Amino acid sequence: MTNLLKTPASWPRPLLGRASAADPTDLDAAVKAGAFEGLRKAVRTLAPVAVVAEIKAAGLRGRGGAGFLTADKWQLAAATPADRRYVVANGYGADPAARTDPVLLERAPYTVIEGVAIAAWAIGAENAIIAVRATETEAIRRLEAALGAAEEAGFIGADVLDSGRQLTIEVRPVQGAYMLGEETVLLKALEGKRGQPEQRPPYPAERGLFGRPTVVQNVQTLALVAWILREGAAAFRAIGSPDAPGTILVHVRGAGGAGIAEIPLGTPLRAILELVAGKTRGKAEGGPGAPPKALLVGGPSGGILPADLLDTPYTFADLRAAGAHVGSGSIVATAADADVVELAELLTRFCAGEACGKTIPCRIGTRRLEEIAVRINAGTPRPTDADLLADLSADIVASALCDHERLATLPMSSVMRYFRPELDAKLQPATERAAGRQRVAVADGEPAH
Amino acid sequence: MSLIPGLGIVRGMALTLRRFFQPKVTHLYPELPAEISPKFRGRLQLLYDEHGTLKCETCFQCAQACPIECIDMGGVDTKGRYAVHWGASETYGERREESALRRAGRTVPDVAYEHWSPIDLGPVDAILHEADHDPSRLLEILGATQAAYGYLPVAALKRISFGTGAWYAMIYGTATYYDHLRFEPPARLAGSDKAATPALGSGRQRLEVDYLAGLEQAIGSGSKGPAGRVR
Ligand SMILES: Cc1cc2nc3c(=O)[nH]c(=O)nc-3n(C[C@H](O)[C@H](O)[C@H](O)COP(=O)(O)O)c2cc1C
Ligand code: SF4
Ligand code: FES
Repeated sequence: MTNLLKTPASWPRPLLGRASAADPTDLDAAVKAGAFEGLRKAVRTLAPVAVVAEIKAAGLRGRGGAGFLTADKWQLAAATPADRRYVVANGYGADPAARTDPVLLERAPYTVIEGVAIAAWAIGAENAIIAVRATETEAIRRLEAALGAAEEAGFIGADVLDSGRQLTIEVRPVQGAYMLGEETVLLKALEGKRGQPEQRPPYPAERGLFGRPTVVQNVQTLALVAWILREGAAAFRAIGSPDAPGTILVHVRGAGGAGIAEIPLGTPLRAILELVAGKTRGKAEGGPGAPPKALLVGGPSGGILPADLLDTPYTFADLRAAGAHVGSGSIVATAADADVVELAELLTRFCAGEACGKTIPCRIGTRRLEEIAVRINAGTPRPTDADLLADLSADIVASALCDHERLATLPMSSVMRYFRPELDAKLQPATERAAGRQRVAVADGEPAH
Repeated sequence: MSLIPGLGIVRGMALTLRRFFQPKVTHLYPELPAEISPKFRGRLQLLYDEHGTLKCETCFQCAQACPIECIDMGGVDTKGRYAVHWGASETYGERREESALRRAGRTVPDVAYEHWSPIDLGPVDAILHEADHDPSRLLEILGATQAAYGYLPVAALKRISFGTGAWYAMIYGTATYYDHLRFEPPARLAGSDKAATPALGSGRQRLEVDYLAGLEQAIGSGSKGPAGRVR
């Protein structure tokens, strides 16, 4: 079981507020605590456009990693003419090191179901799918129990809250690859096809599942939708940072421990780390409050940030500017003597191995990146490797089909950006060899090029 | 040459005796799955269309693009020399014949198909009926088929293609993509009815294990393993 970290009492908890319920699948208890109030409000008093407007006013951004504005997706899906539309809740949780989404599904299934129902109401969908990793059997079991109870109570099913609109929600276990978390890949899997990404645009909101407009939303995003409808956009805007209001789940790991926490967006990385480090830092060798050497932020394709960026606020834009990303919500604090270049090699290998093989920059490019990283760490770099690394990374980013390959360059790029002395030390043998060769080859002192 | 008669035999027998007591190195394939590259995305097969015509154009694109360079297209060139390299299919006598047959709209016999062992199609037909012969429920159909047969027999895949109207190539591609679907009966440990743990059988599982172990090492709480160094 994954540990839930204690957060300061002043931090609001729209996502995990009900996580301590004795039985999260108990519908009566959940309704008493406010479940389905948002849906009721949407169905009884708000037209679909008003629901979208409320989400827009709240400034909600997707929690699946990229931070795209949720209302924009819904608007596009609702505006695209079609005979049917779909809502897909992405609870796949691709990063094996981040269990945030399955934990949310286990602890607060009704919040997600309510969010799905509101999204379906807003875009006019009658079918929704909640995708969960097949190995998360507890999340699937509770979700199915909760769906059964919610249908019996009339929150979903043939006649949603007597509105005359029907909504079928289905849980789909999926498994097989890291890439299944990416939205177009997930849709392929739900269509019963091989999981490879599609060119975007057209975005799934225009042409998604079975060619119909589909809103693919992370399960946290949907849970927040339910909260926004209940508490109002203004209350949501009061949490987090102006550009990215609200909270998000993170999975933090450090020498002091590990666990999942709900944090307001904009919380500095340092404060997030203190959730696990606070307890034991004093006793650790590094002395009281000793900062880690580096932070891996964003999962396998995350950026490796140096300790002097500990004050970076945890928002989509700030992390992107720093060369990392929210990604899977995973945050790893390394030991003071960790070898970041080797860490980057490990991550690059994971990303290269998980590349689906569809496009060349992805398939070949990431593999070459891995080879360069291996050469550097093995002490046998080529003189050209530093330049090649920079060039290749830029080429992959420029010519990628899906986000995976773009992001797969981040571990090595962030090492180039922040840990240059360490990288240079490993590149040293090669540059010396090159210099040596030049001296012999260019006897009259002319530069080689 | 030995001066003592019979010494060679004694030496030979000594080697036999020594080897006799050494641990066995036989790899219990298929009981224990082989190590597979993380890049593995499915097994290779040349596919035939519904007329039994080989779909391969001998364009060599796949051999050029193959990420792990495991595709090697072979052929004899028109001058009868052995050549295994890419080029226009017409330059390869062996493949030219097939290409010509294709273009003439004639069938190329599918030898491999004869080798596929026949199965009782009752269960897969029932599964197809249950799933409404709906190709979009393919993963569900494949999962149920695997549960019924213990694995995905090729004949069942053909049946699913026939029953759902989905191309066999698509079904095959899908079936090879997902880790939990398999094409061989589940491995049994010799002398027991327990299935062997497919510990690190899948390259992708190995990636995941290495990734998590590497993170632990970076944090400083993991032991140094073969997975990576990091610290
Ligand atoms: C390689 C890769 C893996 C991803 N994995 C996940 C995932 O596990 N869960 C998720 O919600 N989004 C994941 N995403 C993001 C999705 O593509 C998509 O943007 C998201 O589900 C949209 O929901 P949101 O707008 O609510 O964030 C992944 C993206 C990439 C490129
Ligand atoms: S040679 Fe061309 S047609 Fe034949 S299998 Fe390879 S890619 Fe397909
Ligand atoms: S992972 Fe294959 S195209 Fe991006």
